[in-house]
Amino acid sequence: MDMHFQHLYEVLSHVKGFIYPNEIELSWSILIVQYPYITGLVAGAFILASLERVFKVKVLGPTYNIALLTALAFLMVATMPLISHLGKPQRAYEIMTTPHSTSAMAIFGFVYLWYLMVVLLLEIWFDNRRDMILWSQKSTGFKRFLYRAFTLYSNDISPRSVALDDKIGYIITIVGIPSAFLLHGYVGFIFGSVKANPWWSTVLMPVIFLFSAMVSGIALVMFLYMVISRLRKVKVDMACLDTIAKYLFYILILDFTLEALDQIHRIYEAEESFEILSLLVSGKLYITLIIFQVFMGMLIPLFTLGLFQFYKPSEKIRRITYLLISMLVLFGIFWMRWNVVIGGQLFSKSFYGFTDFKIGLIGSEGYLMAALWFVVPFLILAFLLWLLPPWKKHPLEEPVSAE
Amino acid sequence: MRKPMDKSSRRTFLKSGLVLAGGVVASGLLKPFNAVVLAGDKPKGEGPWYGIGIDIEKCIGCGRCAKSCKLENNVPMEPFYFRSWVEQYTIKKDGEVTIVSPNGGIDGFKQTVPDNEIFKSFFVPKMCNHCYKSPCVQVCPVGATFVSPEGVVLVDPNYCIGCRYCVQACPYGCRFLNPEKNVADKCTFCYHRLQKGMSPACFANCPTKARIYGNLRDKSSELVSFIKNHTCMVLKPNLNTGSKLFYNALSMEVR
Amino acid sequence: MTFAVVIALFLGVRYLLVPKSFGEYGHYRGLALAENADRPLHYSTSANCARCHEDIFGDKSKGHHAGLSCEGCHGPAGKHVLFSDSTHTIKLADSLILKRDSTRQFCAVCHEKNAARIKILFDTINKSVVKVVEEKKHNHLFDKETHKLLNCIECHNPHDP
Repeated sequence: MDMHFQHLYEVLSHVKGFIYPNEIELSWSILIVQYPYITGLVAGAFILASLERVFKVKVLGPTYNIALLTALAFLMVATMPLISHLGKPQRAYEIMTTPHSTSAMAIFGFVYLWYLMVVLLLEIWFDNRRDMILWSQKSTGFKRFLYRAFTLYSNDISPRSVALDDKIGYIITIVGIPSAFLLHGYVGFIFGSVKANPWWSTVLMPVIFLFSAMVSGIALVMFLYMVISRLRKVKVDMACLDTIAKYLFYILILDFTLEALDQIHRIYEAEESFEILSLLVSGKLYITLIIFQVFMGMLIPLFTLGLFQFYKPSEKIRRITYLLISMLVLFGIFWMRWNVVIGGQLFSKSFYGFTDFKIGLIGSEGYLMAALWFVVPFLILAFLLWLLPPWKKHPLEEPVSAE
Repeated sequence: MRKPMDKSSRRTFLKSGLVLAGGVVASGLLKPFNAVVLAGDKPKGEGPWYGIGIDIEKCIGCGRCAKSCKLENNVPMEPFYFRSWVEQYTIKKDGEVTIVSPNGGIDGFKQTVPDNEIFKSFFVPKMCNHCYKSPCVQVCPVGATFVSPEGVVLVDPNYCIGCRYCVQACPYGCRFLNPEKNVADKCTFCYHRLQKGMSPACFANCPTKARIYGNLRDKSSELVSFIKNHTCMVLKPNLNTGSKLFYNALSMEVR
Repeated sequence: MTFAVVIALFLGVRYLLVPKSFGEYGHYRGLALAENADRPLHYSTSANCARCHEDIFGDKSKGHHAGLSCEGCHGPAGKHVLFSDSTHTIKLADSLILKRDSTRQFCAVCHEKNAARIKILFDTINKSVVKVVEEKKHNHLFDKETHKLLNCIECHNPHDP
């Protein structure tokens, strides 16, 4: 029988120095890299939306609904990499039925459901209820059925109920901001609280995760906004893009500062694990950390966006640059998750050596599975945009022909 | 007649009173907090509460512990899965540390460092430390790993979801995902033997009695006198895991 | 209202899904203790071996290997002990039976010279002295007929070396 450990014999020959014998195999693979990446995109996109709604940054209007729908699309698959990585996926429900009070992972199910059900779904529902009623009157067949079902067969679009929708939506967004912080800060805590692993165990981990989440979420919405505008053949709103870029720049600064602080602190304290971690950074993680994460994902965007704060080239150049920058940031944050999750398992907890990382193309933890969970959110997003097109929403001032 | 307190002494009094009150409040708050955060505490009870003593000076690195463990517990024979294994540390005269554990020591050790370069060399048998503040039990999200009333850290293979958070949380590398059952696996202190009054396989098959186990509550047990008569140390004491595996003659190089 | 229904529903489902013995002793399935305790044995004890093989056991208890467990070298004998009787014998697993020509490797796991073992040789206070030899240099005479290295067992009786 070809057990999944066959490849470990090859890894065994790549082991450097001494590792505990059970450490040859990495317990958490690419799917666990995806999980904080995807939840980060959710939290970041939501926070961008809240900028418009709560902090009244009206210029971000064109991206408000795209951001919310993106958050929903990605949140719907956020648990899938986790569940498909489990040794016993069919037992996943136990985390809800018997959550262990001392485990940092145990309340994930509840945090997730709170965020999905109470925050995102409700907010999007209240935001689109009036429009869905109006759309249902214009559409036919299956789409009409969907609208009717989603609006619970109600036709109430009186100004009073619409005002109530808006008020509830506003309250939910206010609740949503700490929830988004909680969701991703909490994901950081799952790693930051593992005292056995010095690469993870830092109080800054939740904060770093949070800011990198915002960075990646904002970059994703920026990217999607440009792509969607292109597909719809409409002009992008440059003022909106410039503002997103400005916020991206500010949060990049914060993120960079925090990550730098974490590393400087680590270097200056130079604890027992220092030697092995510096070997890790200068060796196995050199390309993914120094080149991909810091240089490409952080320094180039930081420098370019910083430059744009003083010097504004033509719209066309800015547009292309923003597209490239958003892709670079998304790329960089992916490798940041990689460096945390994979990097934290490459060195031995004996601090005397390294194992190696090999994954296959197929199998429950292979590249194909990972690729699947990257594609599905975009499909969900396409469906959501078809169902609730933000550009077809009815402005409140528009006279409504009641039937 | 009572002497009136002067200002400074009154201040000291107030200060120490405040500190005392603060301390009481803080410790009152900390206690339930401890109960929530740490997986366990030294339990109160009557029955045996097991610990382990390993005498590094007596270990000859034959690997019978590792081998009998695999055979007793149906651990896959591949060299990636161990509930119990042996490491050899060789410290050269120039200070370089070489550590090997070929197949967990099951096939024996070959010294690769020439004798004239060796400063010192010794074997360190490793196994689950059966911590009473176990990080692995702390992090299990579903309660599929737990400390038994006897102080043995066990896995419930019929309840484990295979998330491997416990593998990450164990600082000693004592856990792995069983490739056949897809659930977390670890040393059970041969709970099935222990409960029948038999020695765990690794203890029974150690030719030099380098490892002993016993009841930590029984102050006349072999283990307690071992700890009393030797200078014992646990691994990674800085992590406060409450390890119950006590090593005699543990060198500073061992992690 | 909706929340109350959802929570009630959740508690109902939870009641059905949580195993009955969960929480009996702590945050785990109480039955897991019994399940862990009931796993089959593979290793027996030397005392059980002595019940039939008393002659060999007698030899062993006089010699240097007196403190060793039989199964340490011979492998797990649980089934052999449990199910053998005067009429038929359950053999030990074939892969575990010690072969004459494997003794040079097998005895070496304890007796091969190694810097980490020497200290034990000179430890006079400790009674459990393990003799070490350099396997390559030790008795590298060849057997006159087979021209092979002599096996340890040709000169040493493992039960009373």
